[in-house]
Amino acid sequence: MTLGIGTLMGIFLSVALVNNLVLAGFLGICPFLGVSRKIDMAFGMGCDVTFVMTISGVVTWLIVHGILVPVGNALGDPEALFFLKYVAFIMVIASMVQLVEMYVRKFFPPLYTAFGVFLPLITTNCAILGACLLIDMKPEYQNLLNATVFAFGGGIGFMLAITLMAGVREHIRFSDVPKCLQGPAITLLVAGILALAFLGFAGIGS
Amino acid sequence: MKKFVEESWLVLVMGIGFALLLAGTQAALQGRIHENQREATRQAIAEVLPGVATTEQREVEGYQVYEGFDDQGRLLGWVIEGSGTGFVDRITLVVGLDVDKTRITGVKVTSNVETPGLGNKIEDAAWIGQFEGLDAERRVDITMAAPDRDDNKVQAITGATLSSVYTADIVNAILDTVRPKLEAP
Amino acid sequence: MADGKVSDFTQFREGVVDNNPVLVQLLGMCPALAVSNTLENAIVMGGAATFVVVMSNLVTSLLRHQIKPHVRILIFTLTISTFVTIADLFLRAHLFDVSRKLGPFVPLIIVNCMIISRAEVVAIRNGLKRSLADAFGIGVGFTLALSVVGVIREILGSGTLLNYPVTPAAFEPHLWIIMVLPPGAFLTLGVIIGIVNYVRQRDRKGGAA
Repeated sequence: MTLGIGTLMGIFLSVALVNNLVLAGFLGICPFLGVSRKIDMAFGMGCDVTFVMTISGVVTWLIVHGILVPVGNALGDPEALFFLKYVAFIMVIASMVQLVEMYVRKFFPPLYTAFGVFLPLITTNCAILGACLLIDMKPEYQNLLNATVFAFGGGIGFMLAITLMAGVREHIRFSDVPKCLQGPAITLLVAGILALAFLGFAGIGS
Repeated sequence: MKKFVEESWLVLVMGIGFALLLAGTQAALQGRIHENQREATRQAIAEVLPGVATTEQREVEGYQVYEGFDDQGRLLGWVIEGSGTGFVDRITLVVGLDVDKTRITGVKVTSNVETPGLGNKIEDAAWIGQFEGLDAERRVDITMAAPDRDDNKVQAITGATLSSVYTADIVNAILDTVRPKLEAP
Repeated sequence: MADGKVSDFTQFREGVVDNNPVLVQLLGMCPALAVSNTLENAIVMGGAATFVVVMSNLVTSLLRHQIKPHVRILIFTLTISTFVTIADLFLRAHLFDVSRKLGPFVPLIIVNCMIISRAEVVAIRNGLKRSLADAFGIGVGFTLALSVVGVIREILGSGTLLNYPVTPAAFEPHLWIIMVLPPGAFLTLGVIIGIVNYVRQRDRKGGAA
């Protein structure tokens, strides 16, 4: 695995555009459908997710490579403690969200009033856990720098997708959508078209 | 303190109970999971290095290398696992090399998420089979025209030229980096 | 929903039809989109989720008098992640190929709101029988919803069903390749939810008239 700015750029573009966590990886669909009515809300949610995803990605990486693997090695099998992985991941994410919320509320009150409202919802955002699991599954993220860039790029990709969707939905409000398609159904159909557009990004990460 | 114990004893008991349950489950299933993973690797190796009976795993220049032996214990060749960027996401494949390190005995794509129907044809035997028998001492090139075996060329998949090129790139990178370092044990 | 007059069977049926987690409540959408490209994936995923929701409701219902209100979310999460790990280990040991295709979506059952909401809404305040009936209903409803999407996408996208070719030779699945790609998932689920809404709205109108 080579290092360098090119590799990092490739990882970033791949996860933010080509393999966008929402539109190609189907992660974080609940907030994508639920919090995409208005652009400012969607953007706020996107910022929160990017922030928490980056931190969680780094912390879960440190847990696996800093605790589980060394302790497992001491016990004779590097995978000896992997049964604790999922429990540890979800606990880390839940406590990360709490910490970030307290920190932002205490030190950046204006930021909190603007973006903080979605923070408690993020624990059950599967994009966060999903990103941590993907980092854990792929051999190329054995390296902390790659893992960090992946987590950050994943968050940016989420922000991009949800903000784009909100932009479309603000216009849909004025359109004559059949009654049975209103709400989630039309949102999914629009997401399908967005996903189709994102297919066109294939190849730029390389 | 009393209040703390009263409130949280259940969490602690459940935590310990669940940890034991999980440790037990993992202990019971781990052998089988490892066996599954080994079997998948074994199958891939057998496909690119026919006749292989046993293997030894080593690491060369960051690549996983399997030395393949026949049932008499004679060295048959090497199988190298590598991965690289594809059109959509990373492609992982194994390359088989004969004992003289001059000929590719086969290539198999073990994981890819290239576009279904186009790029993912790189895993079809009909396409990847073209690598079998090519010269390992030269670069493998991709051509649009009919393949010219003497020129070490493989024909690109129609509509998925880039997936084809990236696959060849990974093979070339493996040959460049690992081949000179291989030594018979 | 949780009142004493409703029978256990009604509770089960509610989960499958009127309260279907995916098509009506719109929970658990991520796996419904991600692993519904073939029927096999959909069924295995549904089975794993059913196992987790049944075990989670079982544990929660048994311990419902001991669980203190403000630690309940922690206990739910602990329970769910434990049984998800068991399901994941089991799949990797006995259904290795499918588990590789499902990728991160088996561990992602942990954050599936559908499961924690059953513990919160039903299991913590109802007896064992009612909680289990509810869990099976939700599990079967989830599996059915995934399978419907799975059948449509597999037949149109690959021309097969459970890996057996089922379409006439004249049908060319590569023209429908979009169905196995991500956009196909969004479009199929969107249309299905639209149809479900249409039927429900018509029924409601019919009932009122």
